[in-house]
Amino acid sequence: MSEGSSKEPQKTPMVYICGECHNENEIRPRDPIRCRECGYRIMYKKRTKKLVVFDAR
Amino acid sequence: MTMESPLAEQKPRIVLQEYKLAQTAPIAKDHFTVKSFKKSFKIVIIRNEQNEMEFDMIGIHPFLVNAFRRLILSDVPTMSIEKVYISNNTSVIQDEVLAHRLGLVPLKADPRLFDYKEDASAESNENDSLEFELKIKCTYNKEANKKDSSRAEDMYKNNNVYSRHIKWLPVGNQKERFKESEVGPIDDNILLAKMRPGHELDLKLVAVKGCGRDHAKFSPVATVFYRLLPDVKLTRPVEGEAALRLQSCFSPGVIGIRHEKDGKRVAYVDNARYDTCSRNAFRHDDIKDAVVATKIPDHFVFTIESVGALRPDVIFTEAITILKNKCAALLEELESTG
Amino acid sequence: MNCCFKLSGTEVGKDNDKSKTFVFQDEGHTLGNALRCVISNYPDVQFCGYTVPHPAESKMHFRIQTYNGKAIEALKKGLEDLMQLCDITLDKFNHELASS
Repeated sequence: MSEGSSKEPQKTPMVYICGECHNENEIRPRDPIRCRECGYRIMYKKRTKKLVVFDAR
Repeated sequence: MTMESPLAEQKPRIVLQEYKLAQTAPIAKDHFTVKSFKKSFKIVIIRNEQNEMEFDMIGIHPFLVNAFRRLILSDVPTMSIEKVYISNNTSVIQDEVLAHRLGLVPLKADPRLFDYKEDASAESNENDSLEFELKIKCTYNKEANKKDSSRAEDMYKNNNVYSRHIKWLPVGNQKERFKESEVGPIDDNILLAKMRPGHELDLKLVAVKGCGRDHAKFSPVATVFYRLLPDVKLTRPVEGEAALRLQSCFSPGVIGIRHEKDGKRVAYVDNARYDTCSRNAFRHDDIKDAVVATKIPDHFVFTIESVGALRPDVIFTEAITILKNKCAALLEELESTG
Repeated sequence: MNCCFKLSGTEVGKDNDKSKTFVFQDEGHTLGNALRCVISNYPDVQFCGYTVPHPAESKMHFRIQTYNGKAIEALKKGLEDLMQLCDITLDKFNHELASS
């Protein structure tokens, strides 16, 4: 709980989505931010895996 | 041949004059009693179809008709999706927009077979909720036969999410009580979302019973309305070109043209029921005195357009039952407090 | 679901039982107008009216002033009569449905 990021026993690598080709790239800490396919430098985080509840109103 | 003025009748009518509505005689609401109501009240069913019903209520007062209309709109319950649990939504449609659209999807489930949920935070059980899921992924269409087309339906699979993709998940003993065809969206072709390859939806939907007073999605009717029965009478003969003009002043079916033996075309009132009170005849100076359009103040044409979960006649009887139960509950409370 | 309390029945010099304002919770024009029309036509009722003080609150104030009897009796009779109206409507409707 003292750690900000979820560094639990299973350390899943962070996957980001390229802004242009929407390709998934695994970016490790201290890695240069660059898409492996098209070289775009703007990455988006994936949607949270948490369950969200909405009122259908 | 002069015709008697139609206003010579003693019955009270609401006359549609050029600039106002007038009453010919005071509408006798003064001596409303249950006995007189029982004697004079009549119902005539005009149309009773799967989703629409039109019937006439004769000898009734507007407060009762309006009470029924208001009850149908806001107090007759239906089942509707209330909570949307989103595990994954990578489509362009925002979560809340998608949840809102899902809430408005009408469901076939008969609300009389369910209970109200005690309170919003209670666990959903088999007697008060219906669970559905919507799991769909959009992919490229790899079939070779439509390779050259640039239409979205041909290029992608599952790119449009329709209400038919909503699957029912029976809870508890619901599997024995209901068939899949009895619960679920009324219409299969309601477009919920559009997606492209890579997008997916993984939702769990929970439907509960509610009434229109809470949210309009719970209303069992698309619309319910009433109008007074019109009555159109001609005060003098209208013939020739004026007759045709008179016919065009009213909705089709109100005025008919009769071909007399000497070749004259004479107008007559065919069916005043179709009149929509446009008072168009006043636009023509020569025929505005030839016709008198009135309304019969105690004859209501009541139309119920159901969304589909309940039949319109069931909706009406439910509304009356709700009013009765309201009064009974209040009476009980009055008796107990004294 | 619906509770109804009696508000002040004050009128200087008049017996409290004859003039009362009732407060209905969770009711509005649907019941208010219907009851008002039914009760206004009673010969003993001097005054009958209702109001929804504010549309954001689902409350309905219903006032009855009678000449001789108790206001609460007029209200009870009104509710009973309304129930009878419902029964009559339901009977005639079902009768028509069955015969068509």
